[in-house]
Amino acid sequence: MRKEIVEKLKAIVGEDYVLVNQEQTLGYLYDETEELLRPSAAMDSVVVKPSNPEEISKIMKLANEEMVLVVPRGGGTGLCGAAIPTKTSIVLTDERLNKIIEVDDSNMMVTCEAGVTLAMLIEEMNKHEKLFFPVHPGDEGAHLGGMVVENAGGAKAIRHGIMRNHIKALEVVLPTGEIVNLGGKLIKNNMGLDLLQLMIGSEGILGIVTKLTLKLYPKEKFTGTLLISFDTREDAISVVPEILQAGIIPLAIEYLEREIAVESAKHLGETWPASVGNVDLMIILSEAKEDDLYEKSEEIVEICENHNALDTLIAETSKEQHSILAIRSNVYTAVVHDAADALDMAVPIASIPEFMNEIFEIANKYGARTPAVGHAGDGNIHNFIMRENGEMPSYYEEIKIDMYKTAIKFGGTITAEHGTGKTRKENMELQLSMREIEIIKGIKLVFDPNNILNPGTIIDAKK
Amino acid sequence: MKILVLIKQVPDMEKVKFDSEKGVIDRKSAGTEINPFDLNALEAAVQIKEKVGGEVIALTMGPPTAESALKEAISRGADNGILVSDRVFGGSDTKATSATLSAAIKKFGEFDLVIAGEKTVDGDTGQVGPETAEMLEVPHVSFVTEIIEIEEKSITLVSEIWEGSYLKKMMYPGLITVTKSINAPRLPSFKMKMQAKKAQLISYSLEDLNGFLAEVDTGFKGSPTKVKKIVVPEDTLRECKIFRDGFDKAIEDLYSVMNEKNLLN
Amino acid sequence: MEYKGILVFAEHNDGIIHKITYELLNKAKELCKTKEMSVYAAVFGEIETDINELFYRGADKVFCVKDNEFNMPDEMIYTENFYNVIKIAKPEIVLIGATTFGRSIAPRLAAKLKTGLTADCTELKIDADGKLVQIRPAFSDNILAHIKTDTLPQMATIRYKEFEESKSDENRTGEIIEIKAVNLAEKVVEIIRKISSKEIDISEAEVVVSGGRGIKNPDDFKMLEELALLMGGVVGASRAVVDDGYISKDHQVGYSGNRVKPKLYIACGISGAAQHIAGMKESDTIIAINNDPSAQIFNYADIGIVADMYEIVPQMISYLNSKGGLK
Repeated sequence: MRKEIVEKLKAIVGEDYVLVNQEQTLGYLYDETEELLRPSAAMDSVVVKPSNPEEISKIMKLANEEMVLVVPRGGGTGLCGAAIPTKTSIVLTDERLNKIIEVDDSNMMVTCEAGVTLAMLIEEMNKHEKLFFPVHPGDEGAHLGGMVVENAGGAKAIRHGIMRNHIKALEVVLPTGEIVNLGGKLIKNNMGLDLLQLMIGSEGILGIVTKLTLKLYPKEKFTGTLLISFDTREDAISVVPEILQAGIIPLAIEYLEREIAVESAKHLGETWPASVGNVDLMIILSEAKEDDLYEKSEEIVEICENHNALDTLIAETSKEQHSILAIRSNVYTAVVHDAADALDMAVPIASIPEFMNEIFEIANKYGARTPAVGHAGDGNIHNFIMRENGEMPSYYEEIKIDMYKTAIKFGGTITAEHGTGKTRKENMELQLSMREIEIIKGIKLVFDPNNILNPGTIIDAKK
Repeated sequence: MKILVLIKQVPDMEKVKFDSEKGVIDRKSAGTEINPFDLNALEAAVQIKEKVGGEVIALTMGPPTAESALKEAISRGADNGILVSDRVFGGSDTKATSATLSAAIKKFGEFDLVIAGEKTVDGDTGQVGPETAEMLEVPHVSFVTEIIEIEEKSITLVSEIWEGSYLKKMMYPGLITVTKSINAPRLPSFKMKMQAKKAQLISYSLEDLNGFLAEVDTGFKGSPTKVKKIVVPEDTLRECKIFRDGFDKAIEDLYSVMNEKNLLN
Repeated sequence: MEYKGILVFAEHNDGIIHKITYELLNKAKELCKTKEMSVYAAVFGEIETDINELFYRGADKVFCVKDNEFNMPDEMIYTENFYNVIKIAKPEIVLIGATTFGRSIAPRLAAKLKTGLTADCTELKIDADGKLVQIRPAFSDNILAHIKTDTLPQMATIRYKEFEESKSDENRTGEIIEIKAVNLAEKVVEIIRKISSKEIDISEAEVVVSGGRGIKNPDDFKMLEELALLMGGVVGASRAVVDDGYISKDHQVGYSGNRVKPKLYIACGISGAAQHIAGMKESDTIIAINNDPSAQIFNYADIGIVADMYEIVPQMISYLNSKGGLK
């Protein structure tokens, strides 16, 4: 990075908040993307830590004048390389924008700065008796701003949907430096095109989110986590549509292969509670009345027993439920060092059994192992392409494309929640038409005529 | 093998609120659970039963609502539960609690083993186990981290005490207290949970314990230790004292913190 | 006969008096400033213990019960003999260290004496009525309860390292009272052997010195270990260096590692990612050393040193050594 730019950045945010020393910047150059897939970061990037949108605005104006690249960064928990600066860039972290501004009980909304972590929000909501925020993508170190632009999903999508369903307002610094406020605490709002929705899932190429307002929901008093064990994957998966058809909408239905669950538990120094069988369904229920919780549990257990379920355990204490969820959330971290790629496909829920059969057939064809976990209740399965002797397997590209094509055949997607980023953009043509891709490029250049904000993420928008 | 497990219903510590201005504890909003250490005790008992056969009875002293803790114990593998409940038991300290529990055990009859958790998360004393053992006039082994062998007349255990681990062999009847590291408690089976809802629990009042317990030895009257005051320390906000130079002073400050906290060897 | 004086349990292991004993003697002497009392110590065992040291540290009288049986942690035998000593000494206050052994015998003894016992106290005072006020944390350290005992003796176990040790004064002397050991007719617990000495578990350690990305070489953890050992502490690490294979995962502090709550946490070259903060923010005192003045860790620290850890840590070690911190 050029010296005069560093000086100008220091003039904007203060001397302390510009890092140039590699030892200090290293922690800001990568995210959680699989090591063998992630692109290399440009080591001469600098890190800036602005404290308000005005400073960010000045940085964007400077970047346009000097034609330097800017890569926005949240908690660094992303899984598609969106936050990795592949060319010399200003890495702009939102870590100092970390205040929870207001919990608005009457409108049931919370307004936070973008750098607030999911853990901080959960802690804040634990203090409130009545309200909670439902989205839980796993790693609680994620920043809310990052969860907005990655349109995070996670385990609790069946009942409560994904980030997109809960975002009411955003404050955004545009690539050209203007500060705009999108949306508001409204239920209905039809003016113009909805730029707020466009910003959600934009992976930091259309603007830098600095503040957000999220919808909150009433807490239900009685929660329980069922852990139902099966011998076969087919049995476990086949109950999922039946549970939903019975009119039961749990917070989450997670599918876990035992091998992975045990490894993840061990990684955390805990014990996976289920021992019989080979695969488990983890079903989180939440009801206003205790009787409803048990009635629905009984109904679920009955459906599962009709599909050869071996045993059902129930966790009701907050500690035990939290422990199971933590083990589930830790799967990626525990397995990733052995994995080449953690896939993120989704299909319509009715197609999950057939889709998974085909995925396992493909794996067999290549003589590969593909352990899987997944948000079975919302159609999003994460199966791993494993390393061979620590290396990328020779068949990696082919097996991946075969699997992607299978997902698309079922009307599915290549990436349900992890994002396109820098690691999946090459495969976009499998799923989107050329015209759609052109429109995405066009939108990017309308927002960012100089293509300086996180270029090379989602698309390569050459002029 | 007849095993009694001492359990206590405690508030969910993650949800208890403490008011530092009024010095009060709000347990109501918290909900209750079985003291986490007692789950290890129960698991140890159930594992012994699975190995050598026998019966596991959960025993608790508490209000009538503590019934739910006993039912939960059944869903986690106990065969039955005893609820020791009476208005006069209210306000018991560890001595009165131990007197009441040991009376209930005597009333229940013969046993081989009593298992308790190392301590409770609300009282934090760890006293009820050994006090109960003394009142039952049976031996006890504390801080058990491993059960090595279950023999006909004795049990061989590892006890973590005296800054080390000791292998001890205890004759029945006796009492042990277990640590968290002894096992990973199982989750309740859903089937057992549903069955436990209908379980017929044993229940003792003061009158039922006649001959084993006098009213003066239980409840507030039987409690020599009295809480005179409760102070809830305020959450102190950290104010970081930053040193950019003059590190000698920083190290001196650090040294005085270490001294204050008595940390130096 | 009236109950009088304070009795301190002189716990020892292999003849080495546990330091909590000197802390209790110190506190006992301090309580005597409010109320005039004699300070007694009770020591059990056929050992080489220098009983004079108990006088030097503040005891006026030492009750001594000699027998080989006391060389093993047998709660039943200790209780019988301790009971006997109390019946003879008749102290109004009995203080026992809240070590594992102390917490195991004290309740048994209290039950035998039919008196009250307060666990794990962190402060003691004498009230206006001459009674002992026992202050102890409860509800997982969220509250402090002030407790008084109606019966005699008033008994309490006291947390280790809450009070300072008394200074050794070789001019002090006192009276040794030997009491004959009572042995149990039938031994119901056989202590087969000692298996191992306790290793410090990071989640229970009182001091944790952690290293993060600022560590350049795995060997450099030795420097942190040296600092930690000066305070009887252990070494921790952030996820970044554990993932890089610098140190084993047992040492990892954070959301997907150990959650620690030591009295002192020293973070060296750790930036303070949310993942790490979740594992250590409950520590009593947090010291952060990082050459990045904008590092998040400073927002969670009590003392922040903006400097290279390679410069500061050796300075700290030599400073502590110069103060005679090493055992």
